[in-house]
Amino acid sequence: MTALRGRSGPPVIVRGTVAAIETQQLAREFEGGIKAVDGVDLEVAEGEIYGFLGPNGAGKTTTVRMLTTLLLPTGGTAVVAGHDVAKDPGAVRRQIGVALQEAALDPLMTGRELLELQATLHAIPKSEGRERGQWLLDRVGLTLAADRRVGTYSGGMRRRLDLASALIHRPVVLFLDEPTTGLDPVSRKAIWEEVRKLNDDGTTVFLTTQYLEEADQLADRVGIISGGRLVAEGTPAVLKAEVGKPHLELCLVEQDGKESRAEEVLTRFGRPLPARDGTLMVELDAGASQVGPIVVALNQAGLDVESLDLVQPSLDDVFVQQTGQHLEGAQRETDETEAVQP
Amino acid sequence: MTGRLAANARVVAALGTRSVRQTLRRPQLLAPLILFPTALLAIQTAGAGRAVDLPGFPPVDNFLSFMLAGSIVQSVMFTGNSGAIAFAIDIEMGFTDRLFAAPISRYAVVLGRLAATATLGAMIAVYFIVLGLIFGAEIKEGLPAAIWIVVLTSTSALAFGSIGAAIALRTNSASVVQGIFPLVFVILFLSDAFFPANLMLDPAAWIAQYNPLSFIVNGIREPVIDGWHLTTQLKAIASVIGIGAFGLLLCEGALRGRVRRGV
Amino acid sequence: MSWRADVATVRALVRRALNEIFRVPGAAIPGILAPTIFFLGLTSVFGSLTLLPGFTTSSYQSFLIPISMLQGAGFTGAATGVNLARDIEQGWFDRLLAAPAPRPVLLAGLVLSASLRSLLPATFLLAVGLAIGVHWPGLLGLLIALFLVMGMAVVAATWGTSLAFRFRTQSAAPLMQIGMLLAILTTTAYAPQHLLTGWLQTVAKYNPVTQVVEAARQGFVGSVSWSDTWPGLLTLFGLAAILGFFALRGMRRMTID
Repeated sequence: MTALRGRSGPPVIVRGTVAAIETQQLAREFEGGIKAVDGVDLEVAEGEIYGFLGPNGAGKTTTVRMLTTLLLPTGGTAVVAGHDVAKDPGAVRRQIGVALQEAALDPLMTGRELLELQATLHAIPKSEGRERGQWLLDRVGLTLAADRRVGTYSGGMRRRLDLASALIHRPVVLFLDEPTTGLDPVSRKAIWEEVRKLNDDGTTVFLTTQYLEEADQLADRVGIISGGRLVAEGTPAVLKAEVGKPHLELCLVEQDGKESRAEEVLTRFGRPLPARDGTLMVELDAGASQVGPIVVALNQAGLDVESLDLVQPSLDDVFVQQTGQHLEGAQRETDETEAVQP
Repeated sequence: MTGRLAANARVVAALGTRSVRQTLRRPQLLAPLILFPTALLAIQTAGAGRAVDLPGFPPVDNFLSFMLAGSIVQSVMFTGNSGAIAFAIDIEMGFTDRLFAAPISRYAVVLGRLAATATLGAMIAVYFIVLGLIFGAEIKEGLPAAIWIVVLTSTSALAFGSIGAAIALRTNSASVVQGIFPLVFVILFLSDAFFPANLMLDPAAWIAQYNPLSFIVNGIREPVIDGWHLTTQLKAIASVIGIGAFGLLLCEGALRGRVRRGV
Repeated sequence: MSWRADVATVRALVRRALNEIFRVPGAAIPGILAPTIFFLGLTSVFGSLTLLPGFTTSSYQSFLIPISMLQGAGFTGAATGVNLARDIEQGWFDRLLAAPAPRPVLLAGLVLSASLRSLLPATFLLAVGLAIGVHWPGLLGLLIALFLVMGMAVVAATWGTSLAFRFRTQSAAPLMQIGMLLAILTTTAYAPQHLLTGWLQTVAKYNPVTQVVEAARQGFVGSVSWSDTWPGLLTLFGLAAILGFFALRGMRRMTID
């Protein structure tokens, strides 16, 4: 499988070539019969960004640890960059870059020293390792901090250094385990930008996250894991479309007494939903393109629109449909949004 | 007045119980207090046991009888240090702030910690007495002496613990308290905890003659190998009171300092 | 991966381990001072044992100093295990596990740093010891003693790392430290073999570390000979091999458990 990128839009998956990552009934059982991963089948095309979404405890990190040879599967198989993780872990390690959840860095080392150590661990000759390290430090914006100890770095700087260290040996597949957890929005966007650039250069990215927006923004395809099982998989757009239609929320100028007239108009465009706190809502049959005609129709009926909001189904809606629960990331993002609203 | 005293006593008992439970529930805390001194006792008794043949060595049945007091005091000093580290961790974590913000006496908070140290000291004394008896030591003055040893050990633990608690209150740092651990060995080596002072080498021998720790060790050792002597016991009691008073004074100063600094 | 790459990996890991000493002010001081404090204390306390008939030397300092040097090596090696446990707890060690460097090379990098670090307390101790009257062991005796100290540090480090891989927590630190202490003290640490009493006389006879102690001690209390040296060397190689096997197995189990 290879992902072919056009100028825009999601990649077209061409089957027939070697997948970057392929698992069959991948499983991991711990002592006490705890099945952290319970038969996961997934395939990631070369050049794809695959988002692996799920709440805490769903099995994301366990899956990543198996794919990165840090944990042996107890069932099934996994092939990464053409090599079996259980039978040929050394070959897998040569092909992958790993930036794990904790961004475990040695606070006593400088950024430059860490990259040089990483280069040594991958048998890169000293001078080449130095050169590549410098290039990566420039690329992730750590040139000025390169010779400072990691202990003085901010959270965002540590993540960028972690990312750089995962790239020192030009891996074919890059594993990012919750790369932006705990970062401020600016640092998060910087990491996203970097991931996109890497992918444009041809690196396959396997990204785990509990942030919906991250999966939405970055991933070509998303796999949703819950209770150790893959419950949904597809492009974000397709997954969301499967859940339901977008709806429009709007408020009218001097709305009192005009709700029934508004509802009559809205019925022509889709199914009206119960109003909430004075906000009128309608499910759109034909999507965002109906917004303009709705406003025009309301105006023609003598109803002026004060505010409107187009609400798309989210990946959290997908998750709720599959599991009956919200994703924690969704809940946190909701809380953060509600916290700043007056 | 009596009511307040009773209330404070209840607080001391409750906090002391918590601290004792904390220690007993974590084997990794017990190991340095019990296992290590036991191992050292076994090794030193067997390694230097022929010392009883040296001219000038006090008349004893065996080297174990001599060493027992030193091991008890060593273990109790470790307990005091360990309690101080736990206290410092409570301070670092903010648990002590919770107590200081409650309508209880600040002194009760400190005394609660020291009560735990004293209780553990008593347990340690019983442990080593039983161990000694199993492996051939004999307490010349019998059960009253054993009880006295437990009392002296327990009060010594409180005295040593008060110095550690004062350091914890002053520095708010477990690692600083941990850093004084090597000093415990220095003080032990400069006493006759492990060997009679008259057979040690100078200048340690000279220091050991005047080290208050030597008086405490001898107060515990004497009823085991010899018999009661009032002078020895009075020196031991005075040393415990002196160290304890010094430590409690330091604690008081540290508590006042916290109030002044608003900590 | 070529042997050159393996050597570079070992050097890089050793250099990283030395950061703890050179980049954390005062961190090395307890480790350097503790063996010397014990040496001075024990010499002062038990020094009169040389008066016992049959004691092999009149200088207890000279008799005891190899024990303190080896104890220093033991503490240094145990500290390697504690540091590794910390690295495992904090996720740093995953970085090494996910790299293609062979496992034995990673282990070598971890334990060899201990052998270098053990020279710090040993050197300080020797300086203090010679100042208070320890017999000069001769150049050969000194080199043998220092080599054995470095070897003991490697053994202690393999012990510490195997416990670190087994328990994966810094709470195992006391076990690492006490294990080494007991191994060294249940030898002819306090007195010659024939002057030990009870169970210790038997244990010291069969404790392989006694060979290391006697090999390190020979120059300080007498003359150096190959027959007194090779048993100590063999013991260290044997212990390092056995404990290294367990450490390696523990490292491999990190991906299984």
